[in-house]
Amino acid sequence: MSLFFQLVTSGLATGAIYAALALALVLIFRATNVVNFGQGEMATFSAYCTWQLMQWGVPLWLAVLASLVGAFAIGIVTFRLIIRPMMDAPVEATVVITLGILVLFQAACMWIWGAEQLSFPSLFPGGGFGIGEVRVLASAVGTLAILLAIALAMGFIFRFTKLGLSMRAAAFDRTRSVLVGVDVERMLMLGWGFASVIGALAAILIAPRLFLSPTMMTPILFYALAAATLGGWDSPLGAIVGGLAVGVTESLGASYLPFVGADMRIAVPIALTLIILLVKPVGLFGSYKVTKL
Amino acid sequence: MTLLDIRDLSVFYGKTQALFDCSFSVGEGEFVALLGSNGAGKTTLLRAVSGLLPFKGSVFYAGKALDKISAQTRLALGVAHIPQGRGTFTEFTVEENLSLGATIVASRSQVREDKERWYETFPRLRERRNQLAGNLSGGEQQMLAVARALMSRPKLLMCDEPSLGLAPSITQEILAIFKSLNKENGMTLLVVEQNVDITLQYADRAFVIEAGQIVASGTASDLIGNEDIKKSYLGVAG
Amino acid sequence: MRDLSLSTAIKLSLFAIVAASISVFAPAYALQQVAIAIAYAIAILGLNLLMGYAGQICLAQGTLFGVGAYVTAILNATYGVSPLATLPVAAAVSAAVGLLIGLPALRLQGLQLAIVTFGIAAAFPQLLLKLGSLTGGVSGLPVDAPETPGFMTDVPELWLYLIALACAGIGALLVSRVLFGDAGRALRAQRDNPQIAQALGVNLTRTRLWAFATSSALAGLGGGVFAIVSGFISPESFLAILSINIVIGSIVGGVTSMAGAFVGGLFMVFVPSWASDINLSLGNLIYGLALILIMMVARNGITGFIEKWISMIFRRAAG
Ligand SMILES: Nc1ncnc2c1ncn2[C@@H]1O[C@H](COP(=O)(O)OP(=O)(O)OP(=O)(O)O)[C@@H](O)[C@H]1O
Ligand SMILES: [Mg+2]
Repeated sequence: MSLFFQLVTSGLATGAIYAALALALVLIFRATNVVNFGQGEMATFSAYCTWQLMQWGVPLWLAVLASLVGAFAIGIVTFRLIIRPMMDAPVEATVVITLGILVLFQAACMWIWGAEQLSFPSLFPGGGFGIGEVRVLASAVGTLAILLAIALAMGFIFRFTKLGLSMRAAAFDRTRSVLVGVDVERMLMLGWGFASVIGALAAILIAPRLFLSPTMMTPILFYALAAATLGGWDSPLGAIVGGLAVGVTESLGASYLPFVGADMRIAVPIALTLIILLVKPVGLFGSYKVTKL
Repeated sequence: MTLLDIRDLSVFYGKTQALFDCSFSVGEGEFVALLGSNGAGKTTLLRAVSGLLPFKGSVFYAGKALDKISAQTRLALGVAHIPQGRGTFTEFTVEENLSLGATIVASRSQVREDKERWYETFPRLRERRNQLAGNLSGGEQQMLAVARALMSRPKLLMCDEPSLGLAPSITQEILAIFKSLNKENGMTLLVVEQNVDITLQYADRAFVIEAGQIVASGTASDLIGNEDIKKSYLGVAG
Repeated sequence: MRDLSLSTAIKLSLFAIVAASISVFAPAYALQQVAIAIAYAIAILGLNLLMGYAGQICLAQGTLFGVGAYVTAILNATYGVSPLATLPVAAAVSAAVGLLIGLPALRLQGLQLAIVTFGIAAAFPQLLLKLGSLTGGVSGLPVDAPETPGFMTDVPELWLYLIALACAGIGALLVSRVLFGDAGRALRAQRDNPQIAQALGVNLTRTRLWAFATSSALAGLGGGVFAIVSGFISPESFLAILSINIVIGSIVGGVTSMAGAFVGGLFMVFVPSWASDINLSLGNLIYGLALILIMMVARNGITGFIEKWISMIFRRAAG
């Protein structure tokens, strides 16, 4: 039984990272109807920026902060230059464009920092503590706390501020928003900016475990896609629940299903995605508006 | 004094032209109706004025040419547009809809004051302030649409077919509210309608649009008795 | 109709001229590169059927390509089957795997399918490693060169090129039979409006599965050709990015154009290598930028773009 709880705890910690990236995907999908296959690589780029700043002697927390500001700018610029001109293009074209974003940022990291893996410091102290026989790492608690903070901040912004209301309106219906005076383009741009920041946080949180490399986030992106599908593509809450669920199932599946094992753990989210798409295509928290994802 | 002055307005959807050199004006404090049958171009005209569609020709509002002004700025200048089908944010609460109507208003106290005021006028909305707009009845949604537009404190309120899908009595109620806004607050109104007889009871003047052109105009009392116009343009059986 | 066959004839002869001049003028190494581009083009031909006509985005075409490549390699390296004889088997096995993916995909559309197949593409290299006893794991598998006819022994690359070209010909034939037959009409109908197509008696399930099977068979054939032309394969060649690149190649060429498949295959092989000639480490960056710019300028792909220009010039000339 204690193994079970051990697996759940570590699954939750990984799941928090999937959840963050899924949240970024969902924010962008709600605002611009685009599934950004390049989200992971944009995030990796920001993690590299953090690493670079630290190489230059900037303290960790400051480096993270500065990279998050940078990530915001990256999101905005990507939207302005690449997405906005393509917003009414057919879905195949937007898929390819975001795949292009993936290739571009991966290549940029490769060009600037090379392909070898770099070690990346953790934001949290090493070690941990025990609850009964279950050992909880400080980094797991820290990661979950950051996810919780993101969720609360977003919930607050979207529910209680004028900016959040306008962003939700712009994502809901562009014409109606224009008529009430919402600066729709600015809201979509901000959506991309915020999403980019949250994605960057995910990359910074997972980099200590995976080591920093240009392709670090490619598999994580799939877990996030699975999480968003599970939760429902128009529901931020769904992305969070979906991310945690994917993390826990993956961790349990890798240990309890012998034919999956540690090396084929990616089969778990594939199966989850398929099941949810076949059984409840809008996801757990999605609305029926987005059945045609 | 003229508030809205439209001269030789033409609008295209791609290559097809929907409006052909329309000209007319609306004086400050007037209640004007724009009448026409399905597909005549009424919605197109409102969309051009509020900034949803580009146009050829000129549109002056309070002496300013609107062609290079963004939709947001037009709203700030006082041009509000309630679209056909009401355009409520159906997945947002009534209260949030009103807040959205005040997007361009900076002062929080003004927003609070105005919400209070329109809740007075539309008590049904107050009762349902925390419900999703999509769950309101058609009439309530239309009232919400009106209240939401009023939150920006417009000088010119344009409303596209308020009667759509509503019982005549509710249409009357809404037109009566327009009339009182017009009389008591001096608000200028441009109301698009197909429902000729009811509308002409409230409007001062009316223009008739057919196939993208203004084909007739006159005071409400002139038009109300003019069976020819009604028969030829408005599809009203004589 | 006569116009159509005339323009087809023009295109075919143009194609023949290009293919022949490549074989005469290109250096041996480049010939092998072109042969690899053709292998990709075969997979793209299949994907076009799926994306351009059935309206489904499959991000696992590289996986099916890999399946074909491994069937060829395993049959050849482990069982000693002659390389060319493995190709039909490669196509058949990939078609079967494709059907397996295609079955759930019947109920998925657009982005949903893209997401699921992206996962499959990400999992494939892991699976290859897990099945190490069969696939040779990280160290991969060698593939014999097919026996070169006597008069060509000086340039075995030319022979590889011709094999690739012949397979591409078979692939193109298969696709055009599908497209211009009943199945093609059904595919187009179901893409444009599934409900109406169904009302007209189009069997959606069969049509979509058919599209998936054909597309996967072509991926397998392309993969087999790839294995033969490369002479060696390992999981490295079939990472998720391959599937992405095949989709990119397909869109860049133009999803509804057969010629576009070849443009796309060449794009996949040569643009990154030219780009890295300009600057080694900058290669992929230029590739990514080129891709995004092409998409922004020419949404219907390069072929669509060229066709638009040609028809514009003709119209100018005519009137
Ligand atoms: N988005 C569009 N694209 C192309 N043509 C359009 C578009 N919207 C309207 N039209 C055409 O422009 C003409 C005028 O349409 P408009 O919607 O302005 O009519 P209307 O008077 O508002 O009609 P209704 O009473 O039915 O609302 C019609 O012929 C219509 O088909
Ligand atoms: Mg209308």
